[in-house]
Amino acid sequence: MNLRFASAASLLAAFLWLAGVASAESILHGVGGDFKGFDPVDSGDVESADQISRVYEGLVEYHYLDRPYHVIPRLAAALPEIAPDGLTYTFRIRRGVRFPDDPCFPGGKGRELTAQDFVDSFQRVLDPRLQSQGDWIFVNHVRGAKAWVEHLNQNPSATTNAPVFDGFIATDRYTLEIRLAQPYPQLLWVLTMPYAFVVPREAVEYYGKDFRNHPVGTGPYRLVKWRRNYRIEFERNPFFSGQTYPTSGEAGDREAGLLADAGRPLPLLDRIIEYDIREFYTTWQMFLGGQLFSSGVNKDYFEKVITPELGLTPALTARGIQLIKAPSLSTYYIGFNMLDPVVGQSTDPAVNDRHRKLRQAFAAAIDVKKYCEVLTNNRNTPANSLLPPGVAGYTDAPYPYAFNRERAKQLLAEAGYPAGKDAKGNPLRLTMIMPGAGSTDARQAADFYVEQLRAIGVELEVQQLTFAEYLRRQHEGETQTFFAGWVIDYPDAQNFLQLFYGPNKCPGVNSSNYQNPEFDRLYEKIVSMNDSPERTAIYEQMVQLVIADTPWALMTYPLGYGLFQPWFKNYKHHAFPYANWKYYNVSPH
Amino acid sequence: MNDVIEQPGLWGNAWRQLRRQPLAMLCLAILVVYVGVWVYAEATFWSAKIRGVTPAYKISNYDQRNLSPSREHPLGTNFAGRDNLNQIVQGTRIAFEIGLLTSVIVIPLGFALGAVAGYFGRKVDTGVVYLYSVVDSVPGILLILAIAYVVRSAVDRSVAMQTVTRYVDSGLLAVCVGMGFTGWVGLCRLIRGEYFKHRDRQYVLAARSLGASHTAIMFRHIMPNVLHLIIINFSLRFPGLILTEAVLSYLGVGVRDEPSWGAMINDAKQRLWLGNWWELGGATLAMLFLVLALNIFGDALRDALDPKLRTAEAKTG
Repeated sequence: MNLRFASAASLLAAFLWLAGVASAESILHGVGGDFKGFDPVDSGDVESADQISRVYEGLVEYHYLDRPYHVIPRLAAALPEIAPDGLTYTFRIRRGVRFPDDPCFPGGKGRELTAQDFVDSFQRVLDPRLQSQGDWIFVNHVRGAKAWVEHLNQNPSATTNAPVFDGFIATDRYTLEIRLAQPYPQLLWVLTMPYAFVVPREAVEYYGKDFRNHPVGTGPYRLVKWRRNYRIEFERNPFFSGQTYPTSGEAGDREAGLLADAGRPLPLLDRIIEYDIREFYTTWQMFLGGQLFSSGVNKDYFEKVITPELGLTPALTARGIQLIKAPSLSTYYIGFNMLDPVVGQSTDPAVNDRHRKLRQAFAAAIDVKKYCEVLTNNRNTPANSLLPPGVAGYTDAPYPYAFNRERAKQLLAEAGYPAGKDAKGNPLRLTMIMPGAGSTDARQAADFYVEQLRAIGVELEVQQLTFAEYLRRQHEGETQTFFAGWVIDYPDAQNFLQLFYGPNKCPGVNSSNYQNPEFDRLYEKIVSMNDSPERTAIYEQMVQLVIADTPWALMTYPLGYGLFQPWFKNYKHHAFPYANWKYYNVSPH
Repeated sequence: MNDVIEQPGLWGNAWRQLRRQPLAMLCLAILVVYVGVWVYAEATFWSAKIRGVTPAYKISNYDQRNLSPSREHPLGTNFAGRDNLNQIVQGTRIAFEIGLLTSVIVIPLGFALGAVAGYFGRKVDTGVVYLYSVVDSVPGILLILAIAYVVRSAVDRSVAMQTVTRYVDSGLLAVCVGMGFTGWVGLCRLIRGEYFKHRDRQYVLAARSLGASHTAIMFRHIMPNVLHLIIINFSLRFPGLILTEAVLSYLGVGVRDEPSWGAMINDAKQRLWLGNWWELGGATLAMLFLVLALNIFGDALRDALDPKLRTAEAKTG
């Protein structure tokens, strides 16, 4: 428990605890970032997904401790019954789950969660008028979803129940059926995502446009106060019930102390307070002062914090601070917009070929190893596949367009720009967008890319945008090239491969607008396949197809370095960590 | 017999006065050095641009990043292994470009509006006063930030503007436009007051009775009498512009791909806690001397050119 920022009430409680009278409130102070708000349909970025998951939940979630990752029921009473043809999933909703009291409900009293709430919430994700980036989790898979979306697209004033759509049906108060157009082996995975979290219809209607600032969820915490760009505070949701800390885990979890709270009702913390701190120096000083439970390591602090052997310096080890290094199952890349007249695809095979060579030259021009060394202290490693290591479909085949400046120059010449000049002698100019407006690290990274491209004669202009503007332009395809990263949403490479599926083009998740009929054919084949060596072989084939076409220039695989205070308990690295806040705890310190 | 004694003009007089003040002359010498550095920096920039090569100050050497001062690099190197001293030299160029580019917007705008308001008075004056009161009532830095963001995103999207940004850094352009459209108020007020004063003077009445047009009176007759105010205003405003640019670049809104002093300080803050003071120190001192010299010299110039505005004398009686 941390006293420095505690309110008067918690100071008193802490005093009582010290006196051995009553147990104190346990508060976690952390550092958070800017995010868009609390609307599950708008949870496409990591930070928003993280915040939303404190307040809202879905039918199922990942087991916190078990590996490999598997799904357990949360608001569902049990895992669904699946019809033999794999097309109907029947969920029984847990009884007695309550939405918290809120002015949006009649009389201000929260009501019980029903199956219809899921129907309404899932329809919101599909509703084209809300422009969710998450529609891909249902649109091509749920029966009738495409036609329903199309109808709403053409009749924007239609009500959501005007055309009959029976993909999601509440057959009674506590039974939900999801009917699929074709088998969808990833359904349970996608239902763990914040897009599939349940919101009460009353709150959506009552708050209207302001709904994203007024979350009303069944989740472990509820929002107390949010001052954008400064501070956010959550407290235990008194209506949260029915979940205890897991009593079993992976081998070694007990020894690591991860089962000390086994069987205790969740959530374990009373309060979570986060500060939006832009200046790393401040974060670092607060962490050292014991005011924050965790901190990352900025590149300019690395050498003072991490030893050359990549361990923690003795001074920090002596304070009991733990360093946890973990890959995040993500890939950073520079995407090309395949609709762009300079770098994109073309129906003319000769032009198409030249543009492909230009993209390959771009990829080969960037010294990714140097990037890792200079800008990430070698925490990131050069990527060699679309997929990060650890995902079925990843192979360690070397990246064919890895850094080679001479080859880049040659490819550039073959693309029609010898020494970076076109036939008329004009220099080739390309534009790249990246997030991080105003950030020193982003500016230094941009400077690096500009320099790498300049070395082969290409003038690159990097535009650093605010995160919201960057996402909008990527979403709407207003790009030529864009620096981006994708973190996997569930343990299946299909989540990466959908980023190249033709029909998912902008405003869908295929931000590169990549089109390849052969790839699409394979994708349509694998979407309904269960995990098997045969499917993995097709994944590998699909990855090779994309790499050869180069809609992405591959950059790095990140490795996260997190520092944690000794009093922060129950942390276990999780690739899909959103629902994990309820498991964390702090010990008196 | 013609016994008219040769009278020194306004400028001759001013120069004689300035020469009597050693501090002003020292500042002038400092300014001359800065101008020399600026010219040198412009020359390296443009010669590289014309030859189509990368200027030396932009070439990075990642194996030599964040070095301490040495004989080879008197102020050490930065995050990309570039020589800090060289960056400061180029920063001088950016500072002067900012001052000049902004003045290109501020002076015509402030002068034209002030002259029109002061000369015509009545409704025209009311309109101009209303306009500058509104602009002036918005906190400066916020308005500059807002305008800079708008210009920046406009530049990022428009193909036509991108031809401009091949020659001028887009961030620099955004900052100049931002400061230009907020910085004209002071000059406008000053000129308006002067025109008020002059419009009923006898020489103006004479011109009017001889049938001179409004434009001719405003620009041919009155303007030469207020021109020195523009120079004074310019020299006093210049340091403010440099400082504002540094603030904006520090906040990440300023110059993007060129080594401005603000951007250098922004870079330097990352490693200041490790004791790497030289990048920050170098950029700050470069800024300090230029701003100080401009301020002191600007003050002296004002006293010399417009005795009525002389502050020191007014105080002593």
